[in-house]
Amino acid sequence: MSKEKSKTPDVNQESGLDRRTFLKGAAAAGAAAGAAMAAATKVAQAAEAKPAKPEGEANMRGNTFVSRPGSDFMLDVIKTLNIDYVASNPASSFRSLHESIVNYGGNRKPEFLTCMHEESSVGMAHGYAKASGKPMAILAHSSVGLQHAAMAVYNAWADRVPVLMFGGNGMNAAKRRPGVEWTHCVQDPAGLVRDFIKWDDQPASLQHFAESTVRAYKMMMSPPQEPVMITLDIDLQEEPIHEKNLSIPKLSLSAPPQADERALREAAKMLTAAQNPVIVADRCARSQEGVDALVKLAESLQCPVISTGNRMNFPSTHYLELSESRAGLIRNADVILMLEVQDPWGFLHSLGDPWKDVRRTAKPDVKVIQISFADFMMKSNYQDFQRFQPADLAISGDAQTSLAPLTDAIRRELSTTRAAELAGRADGMRKRYRDQKERMKTAATLGWEASPVSTARLCAEVWNAIKNENYSLAVSDRIAWPKRLWPTTKFHNMMGGSGAAGVGYSAPGAVGVALANRDKGILTVTLQPDGDLCYAPGVLWTAAHHKIPLLIVMYNNRGYVQEIMHLQRMAGLHRRDPKTAKIGTMIYDPEVDFARLAQAFGVWAEGPISDPNLLGPSLERALKVVKGGAPALVDVVCQLR
Amino acid sequence: MRIAMLLAAMLVAGTTAAQDKAPSGSAERGKKLFVDLACYSCHGTHAQGGGRGAEPPIPLGYPWAGFLGVLRKPRQDMPAYEEKLVSNKEAADLYAYFTAIRPAPAAKDLPLLRNF
Repeated sequence: MSKEKSKTPDVNQESGLDRRTFLKGAAAAGAAAGAAMAAATKVAQAAEAKPAKPEGEANMRGNTFVSRPGSDFMLDVIKTLNIDYVASNPASSFRSLHESIVNYGGNRKPEFLTCMHEESSVGMAHGYAKASGKPMAILAHSSVGLQHAAMAVYNAWADRVPVLMFGGNGMNAAKRRPGVEWTHCVQDPAGLVRDFIKWDDQPASLQHFAESTVRAYKMMMSPPQEPVMITLDIDLQEEPIHEKNLSIPKLSLSAPPQADERALREAAKMLTAAQNPVIVADRCARSQEGVDALVKLAESLQCPVISTGNRMNFPSTHYLELSESRAGLIRNADVILMLEVQDPWGFLHSLGDPWKDVRRTAKPDVKVIQISFADFMMKSNYQDFQRFQPADLAISGDAQTSLAPLTDAIRRELSTTRAAELAGRADGMRKRYRDQKERMKTAATLGWEASPVSTARLCAEVWNAIKNENYSLAVSDRIAWPKRLWPTTKFHNMMGGSGAAGVGYSAPGAVGVALANRDKGILTVTLQPDGDLCYAPGVLWTAAHHKIPLLIVMYNNRGYVQEIMHLQRMAGLHRRDPKTAKIGTMIYDPEVDFARLAQAFGVWAEGPISDPNLLGPSLERALKVVKGGAPALVDVVCQLR
Repeated sequence: MRIAMLLAAMLVAGTTAAQDKAPSGSAERGKKLFVDLACYSCHGTHAQGGGRGAEPPIPLGYPWAGFLGVLRKPRQDMPAYEEKLVSNKEAADLYAYFTAIRPAPAAKDLPLLRNF
């Protein structure tokens, strides 16, 4: 079907009939399918000529058919958007679209991914979108399903990631089945998540569905990218297509907004004149193009780069990557360029915990340039926008798209003399980079032979196993060691994190990343926190069932260890016993056996392993399974920190 | 930075060089106390230092007075461990445990770290 003005066959040529218009006089139930179809056609013609009997009369349901339901057209619309997968826990409010996907659509583009929790569906879509650069769709009940999904939707929102959500719902109360269907219907489905999605609609016709779905996709993909939601009315899905001359609007994505040229020229002047400029990159790069553009920008100034870890912005092998020297760089900076930084205030200040004492960590007169979409995020309820930080030069626009024109402006601004002066910074930066690397390696030796396994040792062992692979670390923001040690050159090497630190993202997010990487020859590995996997471990089954290769290395410290620190701080503040901090924060007695958990879901698994010297061989065995096209899990019992 | 912190801690504790002799303590009891107090949540299970900015509890050669000063009145986010929670005798056990910890091997001697 073409994207522009694609026409659905005229409903009058179909044998469609409202499944809820029960008629008398049709052929006997149990007739052969062909005969039944013919009978249904006759019945449909009869229905046009003669009003249906009142409700409550006996019906011969077996002889009423809908061969062209509205959900077929909905699928036609979804197909024009080139959606490869739809992740879902099955549910009755979208049963018709589900059936259209697997039969009418042949379960291809989109393919139905069976999920065991709606949070898993959205988490998978979140990871997939970052790794593939294209969105995944999800299906859920607009009520209980969306309630399950809500935290994952918030994560995607905070991480600026697109997810195309469809929620099943029945608007016509007179047609709802008594009982559960009422419980599962809602007046304003998207109201639950409207504070943290970009746009939503509840279409009342198929044409409305087509236009709103294409509109939602277009808005979702325009940076800042965010989830969107379209409600699927049950009757609209299940009833025959009544509307004539249906058409699917052509999709044309908007070009990302580049920052204003004059503002970029001003930024270039400030940066080229600076003695100690620093670039801070947060959710800046969306692709390798962004990484390459940031390298050119940094090299044009010989300017160090601090990358937050929410995106892979800059190669760790480059001498200007000095993220681990953040404190000193910020302290001495006279100009800081912030690229889509979520928390600019946090880069210039620290807030002690639990005493809440504020300290300035940058010079009082440091000049701050921001290129971001901060002013575009017009939601106020959820506070992910962080503390307000004024900028000396605030520029609205897409950071990735603005990198190349900013670099051009810098090159135009540089005199030959100044260019030579800036080039002179390179040796100092290289030395600083080498020192940083040695500092990290020395820190990695601490607890090297310890049992349980130290986090640094864990990451060194995993790297040794995958060092010859084109790799992707699916969740890279929770454990610092891979970013510190592993050579990272490609955007797909480090896929960032959850966005809002809502626990439960790591497992489904990793499965989504692995699915995106499956056909690209990229090996996906993840360091899976134990507490996170306990939220919705059924995603392991989804990975096994759909043959998604993923090397899962458990970072199993048997607790919510960050929370131990919080308890200790409160005990210290209250002058009470800190020894109780383990109550409610540790996962022990009994300890969770993650290898057996994974095996129960059909995933190859080994462990628990506490001896670091046993880790290498186990990882090799697991890697063999993953290279064979399946997920594998190694449960490693780790140091708490 | 570490030296500055140490000096500050010593001043806070009001110590002099003459007072800087650690009382004898039990490394074994200190290790148990380290676990009971959940010091590991920041400093690592084997007191090797953590990944969130926390140093090893004391580097080699760290004087007793400085250690006690930091324990009682820490400068940063660490909770204060007053004497009613950790007695001077228990602090001495912790100190004995920390000073008995074996130094880490050098990075150049670890084949896996030569990958980086």
